[in-house]
Amino acid sequence: MNAIELSGVEKRFGPVRALDGISATLPAGSIILLSGPNGAGKSTLLRVLAGLTRPTRGTLRVLGVDPFGHNGAAQRGRLGYLGQETGLYGELTLRENLEFCARLHDLGSERVENLIHELGLEPVSGRRVRTLSLGYLRRAGLARARLTDPPLMLLDEPWNGLDTEASQALTDWLHSHRGPGRSALIAAHTPSAASGLFDRELRLEHGRLLGGGR
Amino acid sequence: MRAGPRVAAAVLRKDLQLDLRSKDRVGHMAVFAALIVVVLSIALPSGHPAARAWIPPLIWVVFLLTSLLGLGRSFQAESEGGAVTTLVQAPCDRGWVFLGKAGANGLALLGVELWTAVLCAVLLDVRWGVALPEVLGVGLLGAIGLAAVGTLLSAMATSARFREFLLPVLLFPLVLPVLILGSRMTAEALAGAEIPGAWWGWLGLYDWVFLLIAYFVFDYVLED
Repeated sequence: MNAIELSGVEKRFGPVRALDGISATLPAGSIILLSGPNGAGKSTLLRVLAGLTRPTRGTLRVLGVDPFGHNGAAQRGRLGYLGQETGLYGELTLRENLEFCARLHDLGSERVENLIHELGLEPVSGRRVRTLSLGYLRRAGLARARLTDPPLMLLDEPWNGLDTEASQALTDWLHSHRGPGRSALIAAHTPSAASGLFDRELRLEHGRLLGGGR
Repeated sequence: MRAGPRVAAAVLRKDLQLDLRSKDRVGHMAVFAALIVVVLSIALPSGHPAARAWIPPLIWVVFLLTSLLGLGRSFQAESEGGAVTTLVQAPCDRGWVFLGKAGANGLALLGVELWTAVLCAVLLDVRWGVALPEVLGVGLLGAIGLAAVGTLLSAMATSARFREFLLPVLLFPLVLPVLILGSRMTAEALAGAEIPGAWWGWLGLYDWVFLLIAYFVFDYVLED
């Protein structure tokens, strides 16, 4: 079973071709590094896979389902996406944000409390998200992405803004996340905090995959 | 509860929570409505029969301008922290997200309508008691129509460069039927006359059609 299958995926923003015919197959149970210079198309690829941006051309299957197809909605809880923003509401407290996400996915407040504890967010859980420091914001975003305990994580620069301890904790969690049917695709510039984590590297340049993705 | 209604209820609750927390949106709408009604109370010649005839359409213009102020900020919270991705990833048809957002907008507009009605009663001597159930019905249907069209257009305009300009340009022509029917129905009700059944039907149909259109196109609107 493949976690991700891409065939000729293209994404254009007006005249700009952000993704240019990407074809790749990523097996389930692997952790893949998505690398490349700024503007290579890493974030766009993650957004396409998360169902946030419809590709202009090509076909894709994520966990066996087309995210833009008829069954795409039902599997959104099986994807944990963290973009460059947290995806949280600044005027709500961290706990209120996570409770809102839990209600969307029909999860209980126990799951919220467990994540707050696990990610060391207790000191700031009652604070409005707009008042949090960058490090706590990244951890809060991770908590949101992990809420449904998804089998596939799509993470965009997850180590950015984290201190050494939090970086190591993220790497450790990703190690523990690895397992049959549990995968992650992680875009990162400097994945030094995660040496030994990745099973494979996909390199994007100018929207094209270098070296083939299979 | 099934995923769709659960998501709509969660989005509605979250939006009300945000409105009650910051009070910016509803507060600004209330102050704006009060200012226009005060200006009207000064500008309209008191006791002149022609002035009374103008009051129903003017009230609906106040609703429209005030709703524009609130609808324009309907997706502000989503755009600031990238929270729109959280909504896009809700595990159901995105039309349910629209219903939650439109529900919260509709409640905010109803609140503003009630506030404006009180102001009009005090400052313009509008006697709502003549036909209270009819006026409440017209207000409710009007708020649903404005919320349905306004929520959809607000989502479309959120990422546009000239969104403050774009929203009224798109909204005003589309809500003309609400303005016309609302004004005429309110005028009939305040005159103590019976509102023709066809007018109720047209206003109800307008709401239904736009709720349906918005439900189905919202999937595409929320994507980049």
